[in-house]
Amino acid sequence: MNATAADVALPKGKAGDPFSSAWRRRLPLLPALLYLVAITQLPFIVSIYYGFTNLKDKTQSLIPEPTKFVGLENYKQIFSDSFFRQAVWTSVKMTVLAVLLSLIIGTLFAILLDRKFLGQGVIRTLLITPFLLMPVVAALIWKQQMFSSLFGVLNKVLDSLGFNSVAFISDHPLGSIVTVLVWQWTPFMMLIILAGLQSQPTDIIEAANVDGASALGIFRQLTLPHLRRYLELGALLGSIYIVQAFDAIDVMTGGGPGSTNVPYYVYQQSIGGGFRYGAASAYAIVVVIFAIIIATFALRVLSSLFRDEERA
Amino acid sequence: MTDRERRRGGKLGVGERRTVVAGLGVLAWIVGLLWIFPVAWTVFTSFKTEEDASAQTLHHGLSFGRYSDVSHATAGTLSLQTAFMNSLVVVVVSTLFVLALAIPAAYALAIRPIHKWRDVLFFFISTKFLPIVASIFPIYVYAQKWNLLGTRSVLIILYIAINLPLAVWMMRSFFMEVPRELIEAAEIDGTNLFNQLRSVILPIVAPGIAATALLCVIFAWNEYFYALQLNFANGSTMPQWVITNVSTRGNFLAKLSAASIIACLPVVLAGWAAQKRMIRGLSMGALK
Amino acid sequence: MHERRIGSVRSRGTLVAVLLIATAVIAASFAGAASGRSSAKTISVAVVANGQMQDIARLTPSLFTKKSGIKVKYTILDEGKLRQVTTRDVGSGGKAFDAVMIGPYEAPQFGTAGLLKDLTPLAKGDKTYNYNDLIPAVRNALSAKGHMYAAPFYGESSFLMYRKDILAKKGVKMPLHPTWQQVAAAARKIKTSSMAGICLRGKPGWGDLGAAFTTVLNTFGGTWWSAKPNGQPDKAQVDQPAFKEALDFYANLVQDAGEKDAANSSYNECLTQYQASKVAMWYDATVAAGFLEASDSPVKGKNGFAFAPVNKTKSSGWLWTWALAIPKSSKNPSDAWKYIAWATGPKYLKAAGPRVKGGWAAIPPGTRFSTYRIPQYKKAAKAFAGITLAAMKAAPITNPGTTKRPGLPGVQYVGIPQFQDVGNRCTQLFSAVIAGSMKSSAAISQCQQIASQAIR
Repeated sequence: MNATAADVALPKGKAGDPFSSAWRRRLPLLPALLYLVAITQLPFIVSIYYGFTNLKDKTQSLIPEPTKFVGLENYKQIFSDSFFRQAVWTSVKMTVLAVLLSLIIGTLFAILLDRKFLGQGVIRTLLITPFLLMPVVAALIWKQQMFSSLFGVLNKVLDSLGFNSVAFISDHPLGSIVTVLVWQWTPFMMLIILAGLQSQPTDIIEAANVDGASALGIFRQLTLPHLRRYLELGALLGSIYIVQAFDAIDVMTGGGPGSTNVPYYVYQQSIGGGFRYGAASAYAIVVVIFAIIIATFALRVLSSLFRDEERA
Repeated sequence: MTDRERRRGGKLGVGERRTVVAGLGVLAWIVGLLWIFPVAWTVFTSFKTEEDASAQTLHHGLSFGRYSDVSHATAGTLSLQTAFMNSLVVVVVSTLFVLALAIPAAYALAIRPIHKWRDVLFFFISTKFLPIVASIFPIYVYAQKWNLLGTRSVLIILYIAINLPLAVWMMRSFFMEVPRELIEAAEIDGTNLFNQLRSVILPIVAPGIAATALLCVIFAWNEYFYALQLNFANGSTMPQWVITNVSTRGNFLAKLSAASIIACLPVVLAGWAAQKRMIRGLSMGALK
Repeated sequence: MHERRIGSVRSRGTLVAVLLIATAVIAASFAGAASGRSSAKTISVAVVANGQMQDIARLTPSLFTKKSGIKVKYTILDEGKLRQVTTRDVGSGGKAFDAVMIGPYEAPQFGTAGLLKDLTPLAKGDKTYNYNDLIPAVRNALSAKGHMYAAPFYGESSFLMYRKDILAKKGVKMPLHPTWQQVAAAARKIKTSSMAGICLRGKPGWGDLGAAFTTVLNTFGGTWWSAKPNGQPDKAQVDQPAFKEALDFYANLVQDAGEKDAANSSYNECLTQYQASKVAMWYDATVAAGFLEASDSPVKGKNGFAFAPVNKTKSSGWLWTWALAIPKSSKNPSDAWKYIAWATGPKYLKAAGPRVKGGWAAIPPGTRFSTYRIPQYKKAAKAFAGITLAAMKAAPITNPGTTKRPGLPGVQYVGIPQFQDVGNRCTQLFSAVIAGSMKSSAAISQCQQIASQAIR
């Protein structure tokens, strides 16, 4: 058992109350916790409240409409809203595709980079760069330079090879957005997997090599299990950020058919044009509830992330 | 260099033929160059004239003209200097606060963990489940009430909240790496929390702090939505400044490219400088 | 396992350096914050990112601030973002802006809802402003019940622009008041592999594809909603035959003879393509003529103009103006009015002529009769000034189609608050139809749903 609390000096200025060990342990956590509660939970609670009203922007009614309590009306509408279901399905597709692809490609890149060759540092530096760009800039680059039908590079290449030009964004809105997301997040996954590869104990690998195991065999039996925690972390962090993807959709398609995910749909309901703050809040609450359910489930499955050795 | 790097770099492992290694090296080069192509093309475009940029030709040569174009704004509109200062202040201040809050929190979750550390971690991550597009209206209403619209402070406050969960998560992982013997030794010596941190823990997790700080800087610098909705004219940050170069009069591709490069450069340089530290930080058994 | 102890000296030095930089930045931020407060003589204006607005932003320090001592801070946003920001700001009593740029869609609505300052007494009371010089059609579009809620900065209608030389080469004659069928036939006849027959907007957005399409919809006898006797919307009319006919006509014309990547094209893209001789005709805002006939335009002097094509109605051109309004919650209404009086007054137009890129043809048109009496403007805008004025006068704002519309007057939009969202989401679908990735019947059934839900 660790040294007891008595060995740790009491913080200055605290009055005489017996400072139990539990509270002294909690104290360093409190600033961060309280700050986060204050800044994130207050809007959340206000949103819950709005979700029970018909709050709208004042410009949305020519005769001033007082905001009134409408109970579960907003929530009832959500379940009959086919566009919301479309948005949920789009979110699922977009997130799964983007996370899986960036994880796979990132792992391949990491394997490729995990050796010394001429210019390794340079290539790694170049590969990281897309992750460092602003999402709006990345989306603009792809929209104007790569995907554009008139002047885009991809179409110029297709042209010179004799193919017809493809209107990437108009014809494949979801694919275009997933492309940009994967382009930006692969470096992030690559870094995590690279960290995993470099923390692998080399003696076991060398022993396996000596025993004559093939490269593929080593990878499957030794490396992959070791990487599992890193893959899970990449998937978790990537999902949390990619599911909220917004900038790319706003810039590239403006929410075209098949590319409106849930955040963008909620945005359209609220400040993106609908100005129905009450209804939009109800959507948001539904989203949060689902997210918590999914996350709880997922974290049970990805339990290795939480299965830490505890420090008593 | 890690042990592993040293060994990798020197001899070839058993089973690795020299040609295979060289071939993989070439493959890495090809992959890297292809992946970076859109960025390289944008840099190239930023030196062109507008006619060349929109037609993807090169008839008028290359120059820094677009860079000077975007650096000069008319009085009264958002200038590069204002946006840059705003971004810099917001990012630096919010990151410092994030670290100041996350380090003690990580201590409470890793070194002398509280009882319910799993729930606390889950709560921190769960704050990222609410789409910011949904919480924007209540935030807007209160920011208006408290006269925070158009200020840097509102962005600082929000960016701290955005980055804190990730920072706590990461810092906790790094703290878990500190050998228990060192902690116990420090406690037996009777040092208080602050000194423990300073002399024992921080030197060990320093790469982890750098990695966390870098991620916070990246996310804060590139954040667009809150900045757009809560800040106008003088409070605007770099992402908004980039968008002002999307003009409706004629072609703008070259100017937009130049603006994009300028806007992304600080974070890109920081990332390049810190990448080794970041990998080392992540590999410090952060996830063991 | 720690391969080496972090060199304590080096890392400590880095730490000190970082702390010093951080302290400096924080100190600078406080200094910056102090000077960032607006003084009494500074106003904040939100404008749309058009060429004329960027011109006036550039000229404000020399032509306005010098004389009045009032500094102007511009927030320049694209149309979509501008609308969101101004609607939210005006609608929640925000104090972020002293003047906002809105159009005839918002002005009567916001004014009726009591969110804007009534400008009529200010405008009428100012002799130099010359209230009666404002073109009545434009002034009325920005008013409700006789109160003008926004001062017009520029005004436009829509018409057809075409390359006289290309049409002549192919032996096609374009009447002054064409029908859509005539225009479609001409477009299909004159198109080549390198030059499209016509450029029509296809980009989603109620102000982009929505504007052009709604004028077509009107003149084909269709509408978005039917009206109750009290002016409230009754039923969504998207599923009616006239709507499908208009949508099919528009989409087919664009697919057959229209520009490449139409689903991403709006005013800017069509302007670029027309000037690059990639399209031979263009149906869009009258203000485009100023750019086509500007001194630096590659197609100067080659353009013919015709009224907006019709089908079942006498006229179909839209009416739009970007105008400046003062939110009721503004902190500096009197300074804001001084600015607006200058920006939308007759003097600025005379001063802008020699100073803007593109010359006299590029000054803000369509707001005042006096503009059309300036000799230099008459000369530079000879080809299109007359038809522009006539088009604006003829815009059927109170009765744009063949049936009664709900809400406040409007041609290319429906004057109810819900139209913005419905228009945006439906034009997303219609844009997909134009791109060929969605069938018009599917788009129409989804849009009918959206339109019905919106007015519930």
